[in-house]
Amino acid sequence: MVPTIFYAACAIAAAGLALLLMQSVRKFRMGASVLGLAGIAWILVIVVRSIPTPTSELGPLGAMILCAFISVASAVRVITHHRPVFCALYFVLVVVSGAAIYVLLSAEFVAFSLVIVYAGAILITYLFVLMLAQQSPADIGSADAIDYDRIAREPAGAVIAGFVLIAVLGGSIFSVGESKAESTIDQSLAVRQGWRDLSMMPKLLLEQARRTDPAVTAVVARADGQMIAVQSDHSAIVSVVRVNQTSPTDLTLAPSLLPDNTSRVGMALVTRFPVSLELAGIILLMAMLGAVVLARRQTDIADDDRRALAGMGKVLEDSPQRGNR
Amino acid sequence: MNQELASGFTIAANASIAVALAISALLFVIGLVGFLCRRNMIIMFLCTELMFQGAALAMIAFARLRMDVSGQVFVIFILTVAAAEAALALGLVVLLYRKRETLSADAWSELGES
Repeated sequence: MVPTIFYAACAIAAAGLALLLMQSVRKFRMGASVLGLAGIAWILVIVVRSIPTPTSELGPLGAMILCAFISVASAVRVITHHRPVFCALYFVLVVVSGAAIYVLLSAEFVAFSLVIVYAGAILITYLFVLMLAQQSPADIGSADAIDYDRIAREPAGAVIAGFVLIAVLGGSIFSVGESKAESTIDQSLAVRQGWRDLSMMPKLLLEQARRTDPAVTAVVARADGQMIAVQSDHSAIVSVVRVNQTSPTDLTLAPSLLPDNTSRVGMALVTRFPVSLELAGIILLMAMLGAVVLARRQTDIADDDRRALAGMGKVLEDSPQRGNR
Repeated sequence: MNQELASGFTIAANASIAVALAISALLFVIGLVGFLCRRNMIIMFLCTELMFQGAALAMIAFARLRMDVSGQVFVIFILTVAAAEAALALGLVVLLYRKRETLSADAWSELGES
């Protein structure tokens, strides 16, 4: 990959984005969109062409590029659209196409939890707050949208900062990728990791061995101390004790018995990151408490007078400055 | 090399990982530009979520490259932090809106007792 070409593509995309953000040149909007999309397309072409791809893998790559376009284009709409509700809806599109990319990268569990948590929970919260706090244009008297949604703050400076960041990021990521120069992922690594994860799940291992041979009663460690020996044809050998046998014998497990993504993620969560899991729970609890504290009814300064009229004590015994609003 | 295993994952080329990394960088930068440009406080927080998306996508891409699920576990933690951040930030925004009756961040350019 030639860095200069990459920087030129980034500059074109940045120019398109800057024109889209500058609302004074509204008549160029179509041209600015075309310019921005061309820049993004050029960046993707440079990235794809820097790594040779076998013809058999063009299908997933094409799907990935399609999702990439939807994702980036709707991300641009998120930051350029005038109406905040539409921004939130375009963000849903970013999340959904991002989940499609996760599935293409074989992270199914995270993809579904992304859709459920982001599109289902976080974005609904955003929409709630937008509906709660958004002033309608009719209140302001402007026909289109409110000023602070229509006029960007320092679009040129922001886009220049973004251009520098993408140039540095792209340069660092893709020069490292070039030096490694591996065009395909080592598949045996995937299989080895899968079997290693399975060997840490004794119950599932016994289940899979029973699926192969129903007479198995227990899976025992092999002579070298490992539970599983991986073969070169991606199958694995385990030592099992069968019914009416005392000494362990070998059993071959087919590659179709490898653990799926969800069980591997769950296993990693509870065996390798248990403390982080607990900390995540504490963070969620603290966020809930914080949200309750922020959202509770704020006491009015005049409340004390009203309460005094009604013959009740003050809300706060110390200085009245404590009352908010 | 594009051998499909029955457990449901195909081995795709490294080019798709490069594309995913490029998208993650683009999403992060677009989120940054939006955070700097937009003046609506809610949209500014939406842009930080866009940056979270970029970071999470990079995690997933590297987890795919190394065939290790810890990257995916990190994305689950990112989701947790994003949910906590959304709850707190939106609570704050509603509080600020009650005080100034506007969502514009410019209304808060001068801090102090008010």
